[in-house]
Order: sequence, then C-alpha cells, then structure tokens
Amino acid sequence: MDPDDLDSEISAIRAEIRTLHHRRRVLASSILSSRPLQRLSKTHSLPPPPNQSHRQQEWTDISPLIQSSASHAQTNHHRIAFSTTTFPFTDPSPNAESQNLLGIRIDICGREGRYTKPYYVLLRRVNQNKSGDGKKEVKVHRHTIPSVVDIGRLERIYLPLESTTQNTAEDVEAEEQLKPWKRKSRKQDLKTFVREVRKQLVVWHLRCDAVRYLRETLGVVTRGVDDDAMYEDDERPWERDILGPSANVDGAGETRIAKNKLGIVSLGPTALEAVYVRMEWEDGRVGRFKISNTGVVERAVVIGDAGRDKLTEGIITGGDGRVETLLERLGHVAGDV
Amino acid sequence: MARPKSIRAPTTASLPSNLRIPSSTPSLVKSFGKLTRQALLDLAFQWLDDRNIQAFPPYLQENEDQKEEDDEGLSPYPAERTVNDVRNAYQELQLRKGGKREVIDRILEGDWRHGITLRQLAMVDLRYIDDHSSSLRWTALELARISSQPPPDSDLSACVPRVHASTFLNSLQQQIAPLVKAHYYLSRSTSLPLTFLRIFVTNSPYQHPRQAAEILTDSSRVIYVAFPDSCPYLYTSIASSPGSKASASATPHAVATDPRSLQRLVRDALPKALSLPHQRYTLKATSLTAKSLQALLSLRGPGRSNQSNGAFSIFADAALEGSPLDPRPSNTVTPEEHMNHPSHHKENQPTDSEPPKAPKRPLTTTDPHTSKKRSLTVQSRFGTSGSLSSAPLDRLDIRLLDPPHTTTSTPEPTTSKPTISLTFTGTDIISGFRKLADLNIIDAKKMPSWMTGEEAVSVAVVRGGTRVVKDIG
Repeated sequence: MDPDDLDSEISAIRAEIRTLHHRRRVLASSILSSRPLQRLSKTHSLPPPPNQSHRQQEWTDISPLIQSSASHAQTNHHRIAFSTTTFPFTDPSPNAESQNLLGIRIDICGREGRYTKPYYVLLRRVNQNKSGDGKKEVKVHRHTIPSVVDIGRLERIYLPLESTTQNTAEDVEAEEQLKPWKRKSRKQDLKTFVREVRKQLVVWHLRCDAVRYLRETLGVVTRGVDDDAMYEDDERPWERDILGPSANVDGAGETRIAKNKLGIVSLGPTALEAVYVRMEWEDGRVGRFKISNTGVVERAVVIGDAGRDKLTEGIITGGDGRVETLLERLGHVAGDV
Repeated sequence: MARPKSIRAPTTASLPSNLRIPSSTPSLVKSFGKLTRQALLDLAFQWLDDRNIQAFPPYLQENEDQKEEDDEGLSPYPAERTVNDVRNAYQELQLRKGGKREVIDRILEGDWRHGITLRQLAMVDLRYIDDHSSSLRWTALELARISSQPPPDSDLSACVPRVHASTFLNSLQQQIAPLVKAHYYLSRSTSLPLTFLRIFVTNSPYQHPRQAAEILTDSSRVIYVAFPDSCPYLYTSIASSPGSKASASATPHAVATDPRSLQRLVRDALPKALSLPHQRYTLKATSLTAKSLQALLSLRGPGRSNQSNGAFSIFADAALEGSPLDPRPSNTVTPEEHMNHPSHHKENQPTDSEPPKAPKRPLTTTDPHTSKKRSLTVQSRFGTSGSLSSAPLDRLDIRLLDPPHTTTSTPEPTTSKPTISLTFTGTDIISGFRKLADLNIIDAKKMPSWMTGEEAVSVAVVRGGTRVVKDIG
C-alpha cells in the first residue's frame, strides 16, 4: 500500500478520534448538568443513611464536577435569557488607576440558533473629581465592539463625564438650546448605554442575517468549492462575499449568485454594516435599497438603461416592506407577467 | 510616446490612464523585475482579457504596417498577427519553465514595445504590494467628524463614511488638481479586506508631459492610500526614500514636487474628498505605523480587536468563554478551542479543528525551569497577543517622561527634565517581549502595559507606566 494512502488514512482516523473525544466531552458535560442528575446530587448532599456510606463516597467524589457544571449551566441560562450579563475583571496592569473593572458581556443569537462570539465592554471607574461629591462615574476602558457600532458616540451621549463637560461648556449650551430634551440626560445612564449598544449590535446582526437569507434563497456558488461544470459557461465575475465566514481571512470567500428565475445576478451589502444592499439584474439594471433598523426596506432605487425602474422600486418597498419577503414579492410579480 | 497632435494646454484633468511610458525606459525593467514570473504572466493574461484588451492593446502586425521605416528584422520578438496569437505566446511561457527575465523582455520588447501605460505600471506596483504585504510602511489615520454634534435624527450606526469610488476620485481630483497633476488607480486587494488607491503625482500641468520618462516611473512620486472595509480609518504609505536628487534638480518647481509636500497635499485632500455637506471629516493621527498591513487591520480595522489588546485580547478573541450553548465549563476548554470555532459553534457539531491533546496552556514550554506561576502571569498580562493572535509591530518608539531613578519622586519642578527614548525594532516586538517574559528576563508582573501591546500604538509617550495622550481636539 502506498505510504501516502496510509498517512491520509491515519490522519483521517485521528480526526475522527478527535471528533469523538469532543463529542464525548460535550455529552459528559451535558449529562453532568442535566436536571435528573442535579436533582439526585441534591438529595444525596443530605446526610446519608448509615447503610449507604459507600455510595455516598462516590457522590462526594464527583460532586465538584456536578457543582461546577451546575454553576456553568446556570451562567449559560442567564446569558441566554438576559443576553447581557456582567462580570468583574481585574486589570493586571500594575500602573492602572483602578484595577477593578466592570465587564459587560453581550451574547447575540444569530439565525439558525448560533451564537456569535460574545461582545465585551469593560468599564472603569473614573477618579473622583475635585469636588469629591462621591459620584460614581464610569468610562469605557476596553471593548470588542466592531467599528460598525460607533461606541465612542454612544459613550459621549449616555456616559458623559462631569469633568469633560466643563471643557465643552459652549457646546453643551448650544446643544441644550437645540435639543432641550437632552438637558436631563447629562447624567450618566449606564443602563441605556448598554441597552443601546446591544440594540445596535442586534440590529446589525439581523441585517446581516437578512441579507444572508436573501442570498441563500437565490443560491450562492462559492468559488472553488462548488465550481461545477454547470457553471463553466458562466462568464460573470466572482464577487467578494463580505458577510461570508471567511470574508476577513483571505481571498477565498469569492462567491456569486446562482442562476435564478428572477434574473438577479448579484445581491450583496455595500459594506460590512449591511445598511445598503446592492442588486444587479441580468438586463443590466442596478438597484440599491436601504434596510431600516426594524428590518423594513426603507428606500429603493433601481436604474436601468432607460432610466429609473419605478415599478421594481415600488415592488421592493411595497407589500409589507419586510426584507425577508423581498424575493417573494419580486417573484410574485415576475410570475404574473 | 504616443502624443496627440492637439495643442498642449495646461488643464486640471488627471493624467490619462493610457499615457504611455516608452518601453525602453530602464527603470521599467526594475519595476517589472520586482514581480515573480507567475505574477507577470497573470498580469499579461489580465491585460489580454477580452474585457481589458481595449485598454491595453498589444503591438500587432497591423501597427507595424503603418510604420514607414524600422529595423524590424533585428527584434527578437516579431509582432503577432492577432490578439489570440499573443495570448498563445504567453500560454506557452506559462507551460514552459524559465526565468522571469524572458517574460519581462517579451512584454517590454515584444508585445508592448509601443509603451507601457500608466495604468499597467500601477497594476504592476499594486500586484507587488498584494504579494508582499510588508513592503511599505503604513501609517494609520482616523477619520473623525469635525462637528461634535451629530444631527439629532441620524441613526447611531451610521459612523463610517460611505464612499462611492468614482465620486470619491472625482472630488479628490478636484481637490488636488490645481496644485499637482496626478494619475489615480483604484484597486481591490486580493488577500486583505482593503481597497488600495495609488496616486502618482507630477508637477506638469500638461496632459501629456514632455518630461523624461524616468519621472513617470519614479517611485517616490507614488502615494498609496489603503481603505479598510467599514471602519473609520485609512492607511497611507510614507515615501520610503527621499525624492531622487536627479529629478528634483531637473524640475524648476522642486518645492511642489518634493514627495513630502506632495504627500501632505494628498493627505489634506483626502478627508475633504470624503466629506459630504453637513458631514465633514478630518484626519487624526493614531500613533500607529507598521509594515504589516495585517497588524494595522487588527489594531485599527473593522474587527473586534481595535480596543482590546494585550491583557484584553482574550476578550477580542473570545478565548475566555464559549457560546452560551456550550455545556462544558469554560475552564476545561482550551483557548485555542474557544477561538477556533466559536462563531459557528453548534451543539454536538463535530469539529476537526480540535487538537488531539491540546496543551492546557499554550505557552507552557517543556522547559522544566519555567514555573507554572510565571507562565500564568505572562498569560494574564499578554492574553492571546503574541502567541495565538498576532499583530506584528516592526518598530516601537517609547518616550519615558519619568526621571531615570524614580526611587524618590520629588514633587518640586526641576529645570531640566531628562527623558529616555526607547526604540525597539524587529519583526514582531510584542511577541518578543512575551518571549522575554517567558524566559523571566522581564518581570511580567511589574511590566507596564505598553509592553504587552495593550495600547496598540507604535509611538507613545509614557509617564508612570501609562500612556500620556495629548488631547488635540
């Protein structure tokens, strides 16, 4: 037998062992945190009947495991239920002004029940200012919010600092004249800040999911992966999939829309924030629409060789206006004609 | 050089993409020679593609017929009859093994003997950057809104200026045009989420300058700007060499053409070109200069790691905890596992990426002297930076404002304030610090945070272990 074959077989078997190991760990943890076992462990934590001391020994052996998985399960339940959770964190830097940080973790569940990487915001207490009135002011120290969400601006709005407001007193006055309703919110509002950050993140993920859904409904062909003979005659250029899983890794994420009845040759967001979506039809028409924060197509422009295509624009924004039903609306009209 | 018969008059239009540089220019060989054989062939195929053939027509026999007198018999590359013949010639070169010199010769002396256009040269240069992402030094600049009060109805997510490529180029051209004449080439990076803009600047106001062809290939007159996707930053290249003496003395207006002032002009014009009515932008320095575009993208890019580096990189990489659906307690899962498949982690989904017996701590070397405690400290200080994720900084300049001996801090001001400047250079400074800390040369516990890469800068002024940020508007 060829040594290369053996090597590939060995690596395949290793990969399978790894998969099975992983699965065993997941299953073991699931059993440990399962409700019946947890209930059993609770009853056994009571003082044992004298004749069962041997079994009691076994229970105390595995009880740390059960306890840790119980607490982990509880944490996970909190994260799933509340989506935003807090935790303390100690800044390891020896020169930090305040070593104790307040961490905020935001878990966002995407389409298909998958969770994205959690987002974190770490807040630090600002030094008491000279007046010493004991106000508890916080400031964003570090965060992992992508620049799609302008956290600096949210911080300026919801977490203004007493000390910095004096520098820009004129700005504040001007702003108060323009926006009298903002007058009260010069105090820090941590709850609204976190709510707003989470809202922006959720809205962004929803928009991305909606565009991904539209693309998948049309059918996506990935370069090199499903490069079948049936697409050989396809002369259309490949496009970079901004929202693809490997979009930021390297140039591997080149895709294009499969041939479809609607005649759409390309559909994709113009940028990572996925507010504007660009469409292109076979006949050269180019369109662009905007997704609002509530998932409604707000505005749409379609331009062909003969000028604006008001009919298609009307279809895109018409109906219930939802992004998700956009293709149905387009298909409905195409079917009528 | 193809020069039309029309009257030469100063204009404000940009240099045309089809302006040809004579193929005999020696520096062309140099700029072509930077590329590999395969890259050169790829470019030739791109030029001969049906879509591009109009922009880059090769030299054919019909061109030859129009010429009256030529010493054609001497050329080693007889002109081909059709475009397809030219394509076949390059296909042949593709199949054959050989040096890149024969491809360069074929391009310059054969199929494009009538000149290389500015656009072709730009493509060559950008291909080189694509292949060698650390060939230039890049400086990250932040685009900031000038007015501090956003309009009340604007939605909060709209923070990144939206750019339409040709509109942006038009307005950039309007900004620069009265001062310098430029050629623009916009191209998408094939390997990184970036868009490159190559600006080549001359000082002549004429459409078809009568300067020496050498000026058109002078690399010090080229400015690169890279726009990362969806984030309020942009990267510019610093002119690697000061303007060549020969060109500076040959031109009477040396002031406007010296690369430094050209770069300043372009840099000033960029935010103006990006601005819209009621939405003005300015460029702010971010004290980050690095050779690696990858480092810039991770420190000033669209991703999660802009504001969490060093000790906080565990959050950026989500190496600490998994998704809420993961039933395994977090402390039993290695950081690699968390990083590898957290974004698309599904319960019970088989994964191949898990190493068979992943070491509990990635940096615990087998060295018996490395105590467990120290490696834990190193890990808590550096997080994942310098090991699992890296943003290689090739240079780190630190100015310490503290007096050298801080044993007695005297509050009264002294007239002389000695400061120490430290400069570190290398391929990846932060991971170098990490290695030193691993070897117990640096005490990881007492080390200031700028050494862990937490500040994500390449230039910093430090007082008392923390970075001093000059507040400039």
